[in-house]
Amino acid sequence: MYKALLIDDEPLARQLLRTLLQSHPEIEVAGEYGDGFAGFKAIQEHNPDLIFLDIQMPRLSGFEMLELLDAPPAVIFTTAFDEYALKAFEAHAVDYLLKPMVRERFEKAIQKWLQQAAVKETPKVAPLLESNIYDSYQHRIVVKDNGLIRIIPAQDIHYIEANDDYIKIVTKDGSYLKKSTLAHVEQTLDPQQFVRVHRSYLVPVGQLMRIEPYEKESHIALLHCGAKVMVSKSGMTKLKTLLGW
Amino acid sequence: MVMACCKHVFILHNVLHFDWNLALNDAIISSAILSLSVWGIILLIRSYPTTAAITLYALFVALVVSMATAVAEYEVLKWWVSTSTANLHYKVWLRDTLPIRFLVIWIFNIWVATVSAMRKNLNALDSRFQQQADASVLLKEAELFKLRQQMQPHFLYNSLNSISALIMISPDKAQEMIGKLSDFLRSSVKREAEDVLPIAEELNYIQSYLAIESVRFGDRLQVQIDKQYTDDATIPPFLLQPLLENAIKFGLYGRTGDVAITISIVLDGPLLTITIINPYDADTQPPRGTGFGLEGIQRRLYLLYARADLLETKKDDTHFTTILKIPQHHVQGATDRR
Repeated sequence: MYKALLIDDEPLARQLLRTLLQSHPEIEVAGEYGDGFAGFKAIQEHNPDLIFLDIQMPRLSGFEMLELLDAPPAVIFTTAFDEYALKAFEAHAVDYLLKPMVRERFEKAIQKWLQQAAVKETPKVAPLLESNIYDSYQHRIVVKDNGLIRIIPAQDIHYIEANDDYIKIVTKDGSYLKKSTLAHVEQTLDPQQFVRVHRSYLVPVGQLMRIEPYEKESHIALLHCGAKVMVSKSGMTKLKTLLGW
Repeated sequence: MVMACCKHVFILHNVLHFDWNLALNDAIISSAILSLSVWGIILLIRSYPTTAAITLYALFVALVVSMATAVAEYEVLKWWVSTSTANLHYKVWLRDTLPIRFLVIWIFNIWVATVSAMRKNLNALDSRFQQQADASVLLKEAELFKLRQQMQPHFLYNSLNSISALIMISPDKAQEMIGKLSDFLRSSVKREAEDVLPIAEELNYIQSYLAIESVRFGDRLQVQIDKQYTDDATIPPFLLQPLLENAIKFGLYGRTGDVAITISIVLDGPLLTITIINPYDADTQPPRGTGFGLEGIQRRLYLLYARADLLETKKDDTHFTTILKIPQHHVQGATDRR
């Protein structure tokens, strides 16, 4: 017996999934949810084997929700349209269903997943999230803060620091840890706003106050928030091209 | 040219006291040769393949042609004099005036050459300007077309998905939904070709759109339209619907209860002002639209009216307001022309 959750903003889309799943008694629908917040809570509570997930859910999108999970379950995406994401799905063997959904394609996805589940080989969502799945730059970062979901607007970020497997996001209200990489965050944020000035630092251009020479090849940047961050040689080159020095 | 020729005769006869025959022949021959050289210059400049360094080329052509003309004129006149009346005084005078003749021809030719070079330059500029204008019109049309196209697919696929669900749950409702979707698509297609539409027609279209949305989202969605406009106000197609779609999404996702959206339409002097207010949860919304961009609409408004101040958004803790302004004078002109 497998446990599944349905996370989609449209009631009729969830109904369709339920109806299609009726011919698979081995998959039990443990619940259905209308947005990423509710989905996130339910996943932690039910610990499902499989979720059906819509992507475009403005309160918290499907991708953002997955980013917050420590051990995401197997995912079958259900989406109306997302050219960028489709490429990423294909590359990482997570199945996806295009809306309007039809039974034939749905069965294929289920069969594929059942085979994988039988050998306990669930597709990894992590590499999918690492790839460039967003079709436009994000204006926020979603983090977990004591079990709660916190949405950090990009303009509140002072800087982001790499910290082993985590990134530390320093904002005006304090700092937050998130399991991610600087390379990934750098990809999702607008490159006109955020510059990777160093292997370990991503800094918003607006935060830069002064840059001073440090050692022979490197500089140090003073930020408006008072922090100092290292600027590497290549970081300096990036800043120069972006700011037109 | 004829006047110059007459003057030439008059000067030769009255001032320099040559006989009429001599004066007339000198005038006709030098005028004919000068005409030939002008014609040559014009041809040479026209056949110059580009406009790069054309002034320099023109001056060079003028110099070379003038030298050739002066020599030709001298030789022809000398030959003509030797065959007819042997006027020694004239022959000497002819040789002495060669530099002056050359100078006069040269100045005249420089003038001709520069004028035709300028003309050629102007033509080239003109055609380049025309080309650029054509290109920007084409680009603008292509962009407008693309922006219109972008508005549709998401909505269409999601509606089809709802129909797919209804087929299994309630075939009657599925059929009803297909009818509504067809109405909507039919009026979409009809509107493709229109630049502007009467506001009443746009509202009919909005109603057919809302009918579909209320099937998709159930009874949660309530839209109130507050009309305070005159019926002859107009609006370009495909602006209001995406804004409303945006409002519905923001409204529905941020909250769990019913969602009341108000649309008010006011004709405010030269501007038709449409205000859409939807409930909104300040804590969970992104600072700017992610995915549901208003950028496309902003861009379209700019392409249509060359103004960037026609779309405005405001928010407080509970409500999100979108204000769309449509200039009417522009539109009025378009209707008058019909």
